[in-house]
Amino acid sequence: MRPGTLRGALVVFRKEWRDALRDRRSLVSVGLGSLVGPVLVVGMLHAVADWQREVEAMRLPIAGRENAAALVAWLDQQEGIEVVDAPSDPERAIRDRDEDLVVVIPPDYGEQFVASKPAKLRLLSDGARSSARPKVERVRGMLARYGAEIGSLRLIARGVSPQVAMPLEVDDVELSSAQERAASILGFVPLFVMLAAFTGGMQIATDATAGERERGSLEALLVTPASRASIAAGKWLAATALSASSVVLTALLCAVALGALPLAQLGMRFRFDASDLALLLCAALPLCPLAASIELYLSTFARSFKEAQTYMGLLLLVPMLPGVLSLVRPFSAEAWMYPLPFVGHHALLNAALGGQAPSILGLLVSAAASLVLSALLVAQAARLLTRESIVFGR
Amino acid sequence: MIRVEGLVKRFGAVLAVDGVDFVAHDGKVTGLLGPNGAGKTTTLRMLYALMRPDRGRILVDDVDAVLDPGEARARLGVLPDVSGLYPRLTARETIHYFGELQGLDARTIEARTEALLDELDLRTVADRRTAGFSHGERTKVALARALVHSPRNVLLDEPTNGLDVMSTRALREMVRRMRDDGRSVILSSHVMQEVSALCDSIVVISRGKVVAQGSPDELRELTGEADLEQAFVDLAVNPGEVRA
Repeated sequence: MRPGTLRGALVVFRKEWRDALRDRRSLVSVGLGSLVGPVLVVGMLHAVADWQREVEAMRLPIAGRENAAALVAWLDQQEGIEVVDAPSDPERAIRDRDEDLVVVIPPDYGEQFVASKPAKLRLLSDGARSSARPKVERVRGMLARYGAEIGSLRLIARGVSPQVAMPLEVDDVELSSAQERAASILGFVPLFVMLAAFTGGMQIATDATAGERERGSLEALLVTPASRASIAAGKWLAATALSASSVVLTALLCAVALGALPLAQLGMRFRFDASDLALLLCAALPLCPLAASIELYLSTFARSFKEAQTYMGLLLLVPMLPGVLSLVRPFSAEAWMYPLPFVGHHALLNAALGGQAPSILGLLVSAAASLVLSALLVAQAARLLTRESIVFGR
Repeated sequence: MIRVEGLVKRFGAVLAVDGVDFVAHDGKVTGLLGPNGAGKTTTLRMLYALMRPDRGRILVDDVDAVLDPGEARARLGVLPDVSGLYPRLTARETIHYFGELQGLDARTIEARTEALLDELDLRTVADRRTAGFSHGERTKVALARALVHSPRNVLLDEPTNGLDVMSTRALREMVRRMRDDGRSVILSSHVMQEVSALCDSIVVISRGKVVAQGSPDELRELTGEADLEQAFVDLAVNPGEVRA
């Protein structure tokens, strides 16, 4: 009696699943693959938060503070600013990274100020040091505000409305760079979720195909009357199941981590609740069968277990492409992207993470395209199993 | 019963099997005897339909193995040349898995597994993972998974290779029991004693061709050698085809 394709596939699936759960390597690849992303995101967001706190409560070293008592007193009153004496050699302190910036007030400041001439100040910093940039910008902003206040007072003293000297009024709604940075770190989450889809099924896909041949059990499996389609499909289902476990684990860990982080402190209005998690999974899970089918096909095709592992390493670059592309040049989801593998998944994941509900049609189109593509690949893998060069090695 | 007619298989420029004919009857043990590289394994691989012959016909109980390989495989129990196991499954789980792949129902699988564990003396290691098994234990598990569906036709590729005396004896016992059950058993070997001890009919293959076939007595008569081993050497070296 010959088992039907579906029944045969379930038999193979159950065996491969049990085999994978006993395989330390496959569990490690699921576990580590799911952990790396959330840990990195949390670490990076923490770094940004620290950095933001540093800007909010900063020391401001001033050289020659006795030259401008009023300005120094005004600066010292600003929230989170503590004026301190600058080191004796300010330029060297910056070069040696002892200070991020130093304000130098020359001795002729008072003279110029009283004469209503532009009083010179020097703001020393290292433009190449990006971590110092927000502090420098904050200080420059404060100095500009002080200058504008004094300017207005002088105009009023001369009977001119300060508005005459303000041809433009700019409403400053700039996002601080900390927010930008935190947002770009969140942009990594779709990338890690997509990576998890690939790392999850990788070990079992290679072990069940190239590994099975290398151990010499493939011939015995293929002489059973179970159809090639059912054998390929069973192995694909097992790889899909592990890939999906990895994706769910990654998404859950990311959700927990993001919930526990002080995102509000970074000025980010970010909310990630159960419904967002559900959306994220709806967008990501259809990627699992596709990733598993690519892995299955490649490792069936590979001449050896080693060769299969090489293919798997290269394959990891594929889901990263749209992610990397979007970090360089952000793109938003458009309808034509949905049927494309990886690009569509990435667009949907980004939308889900951004709190916008991705279109139901987009989700359906993406899922359908993934399933069709994976069915084709599994069918091709089954065909490979009928080739003598594949079964007996080349 | 297995009937092989005019089997030809070529790998590039090498003619591995060149017009092999023989019949393996029910209730008989048929031995494929030949030196290494004679084409025995290739012939068997075509019989269990993992290789497609370039020419010729294979009938397994009247099923054409080239036209309907799935149906032919269902009638075969095969111990291939390379018989690796799943290191993370136990002996019992392995047999069970192959029972499922054969499409047997749960109760039959259960009964057959128990019977095979006893017959092959595997009971003490039944629930251990096969990773640590000895060569003899591995061969027995591979044999059990090949026989779980009680096939009418059994193909064994060099079954006693590397087995110790006790395991070899157990295997011979098993082969005789299958023959007495009325099954058709084909085994390949390059060891004369092995074949002469077990087989009712011997097919001597050399360089892809059948150079002689018949019962052990007929072969002795044919070559005029009392010693079967000498008869085998004569046949394998002598390219002229002789038939009893």
